[in-house]
Amino acid sequence: MASKNSDYLSRTKHQYFGVVLFALLSASLILTAAWVAATYYLNISSKLYIGLIVFGTAIILSWVLALVLSKRLIEPVKALWQLIIHITPNGGLPPPNIDSLKIGHELVADLSAQVLQLTATANKQSQTPISDINHNFIANNMPLPLFILDNQETVIFANVHAGEYIGLNPKDIIGKNFYMIMDMSFPSENTLDKWLKEAKGTAATSVMSWDRVRLNVLDNHPTRLFDLAAYYNKDNPQYMETLIVLFDHTKQYSQDDQAVSFIALSVHELRTPLTLLRGYIEALTSEFKDSADPELQEFMLKMNATAQQLTVFVNNILNVARVDNDQLQLKLHEESWGEIVLSAVNAIGLRAKVRGITIESNIAPNLPTVGVDRLSIYEVINNLLDNAIKYSGTSNVIKVDTHLSREGLVETTVQDFGLGINPAIMPNLFTKFYRDHRNRSQIGGTGLGLYLSKAIISAHGGNIWVRSEQGKGSTFGFTILPYAQLAAELKNSDNKEIVRGAHGWIKNHSMYRR
Amino acid sequence: MEPTIEPGQTIQPAGARPQKKVLCIEDERFIGELYQRALRKGGYDATLEVDGAKGLEMAQTDIYDIILLDLMIPNVTGIEILRTLRDPAKTPHFKGKIIITTNLEQREDVREDIEKQADGYIVKAELTPNELVEFLDNIA
Repeated sequence: MASKNSDYLSRTKHQYFGVVLFALLSASLILTAAWVAATYYLNISSKLYIGLIVFGTAIILSWVLALVLSKRLIEPVKALWQLIIHITPNGGLPPPNIDSLKIGHELVADLSAQVLQLTATANKQSQTPISDINHNFIANNMPLPLFILDNQETVIFANVHAGEYIGLNPKDIIGKNFYMIMDMSFPSENTLDKWLKEAKGTAATSVMSWDRVRLNVLDNHPTRLFDLAAYYNKDNPQYMETLIVLFDHTKQYSQDDQAVSFIALSVHELRTPLTLLRGYIEALTSEFKDSADPELQEFMLKMNATAQQLTVFVNNILNVARVDNDQLQLKLHEESWGEIVLSAVNAIGLRAKVRGITIESNIAPNLPTVGVDRLSIYEVINNLLDNAIKYSGTSNVIKVDTHLSREGLVETTVQDFGLGINPAIMPNLFTKFYRDHRNRSQIGGTGLGLYLSKAIISAHGGNIWVRSEQGKGSTFGFTILPYAQLAAELKNSDNKEIVRGAHGWIKNHSMYRR
Repeated sequence: MEPTIEPGQTIQPAGARPQKKVLCIEDERFIGELYQRALRKGGYDATLEVDGAKGLEMAQTDIYDIILLDLMIPNVTGIEILRTLRDPAKTPHFKGKIIITTNLEQREDVREDIEKQADGYIVKAELTPNELVEFLDNIA
């Protein structure tokens, strides 16, 4: 387009000289004819030098005439043409020089000036042309790293903060493929790359964000952890197709990660010998079940029960760390409550048995289905049963009861007939690391179980409570919501599950959809 | 967490069906040996491999019904093995089931991602070897 236009410009030059030449020739022909006619008809003595003077004057006059005429005619037309090309997208010509227009062309000059002014206003109001993005105040000064990519994922703009953030000069970013300069790890398979491919295939515009993206950097540059938001627009006329903004959370995320990964690694180290212990205990138990004497068999059972208890405790440590770091995520699904309670009771059976305790469970018929995170709620029942076993003293029965409360919630109680709790310490019972001092020397435990149970029950939207009388025993109870009640929360959503954090907030569930 | 055995679950006696081939990729040799022992008693043809790279090669060349896959293993990680085996371009003929066996706790979203690609996810400390065999009886 641009080369065509400059061709045209040089062509108008030729035309301009053509007009001059044409005017010159025609004028000299007319004058020469006039001179010949004059000498012939008027019988003027013809002298050649007079003829030459007349001829020369004619040439000069016609030259001037042609020059003025052509300038007057061609210059304004050229100016108008150049103006039209200039305001066309991708026109590639500079605006015409209005000042060069001579007297008599005020109309064209005015018109040009007005068109240019209108175009400038229109440009400002609509989109900033690509050549101007580098001068865009917001893009450059926004205190967040910003990248703009074209349809080939080539970076066509990066602000100063983007360069600083990834440790590159903005000049070294522009023109590069985005994925080449940004080697990122996403927490799940749903990556920027995947989303962009999908968006390009289907959508005209699309918006997406990601949590906890990691930039894989060279050793000499610090780690970067951030949230990433992207906007895609297929038909952007300036080819600014994808806009990417980073929100830095390096400090927060790396602290969280370190806290949890320290615990996760410790738990791993605890679990490996635990796996082995449980494996060997199981092998020994089954190998010697008919031969060893009864006392040894009882030792085996106790060893097994202890190993199971340790497994639960290790999980408690892990989950408390998650609660404290807001990383415990519950996925509430529709479940049959009676089945969960019975399987938890069944699983702790061995521990009760080695202490000579019977667990009596009473499940009310026709309970509605509940909305729970199976693994977490299982740990709550497990912790309450574990406490009941620990504090049973000489009593040998634990009662588990589950029924529909007057408020229409599903209520579950675990009752022991043992030591009971000192009223003075009741208010602190659900606090982390809190334990009954007087019992500390006799009964093991860390005070994590009830703290964790409360967090899990709260996240389920329920309540946990205790009723106790010293010397007579304690009853721990908790409520959870029937599934129908939870499902009402999702009425306007197509999600089949609710994701919750330990402190009761609902996460952006579309990002955790299965 | 205690393992649960669903009511009504049936455990078929060994030999009642063709012997299934299990590859256990597990770098903790003692755990691997316990699993191998329990699997053989449960009627499986179990092979143990402690190295990730070798384990991947075995899974790609030989035919296994079930792969027990630890995540923290030397040379090639369990996640890399999982992705390679699930990628039809890299392992076109793999039809077996992959059960992740790990004691390392993952971030929830990472775990969810792994679970999507695998046929089972087991925390080793929560199942005894015999319970693992029962689990395999149920999914196979």
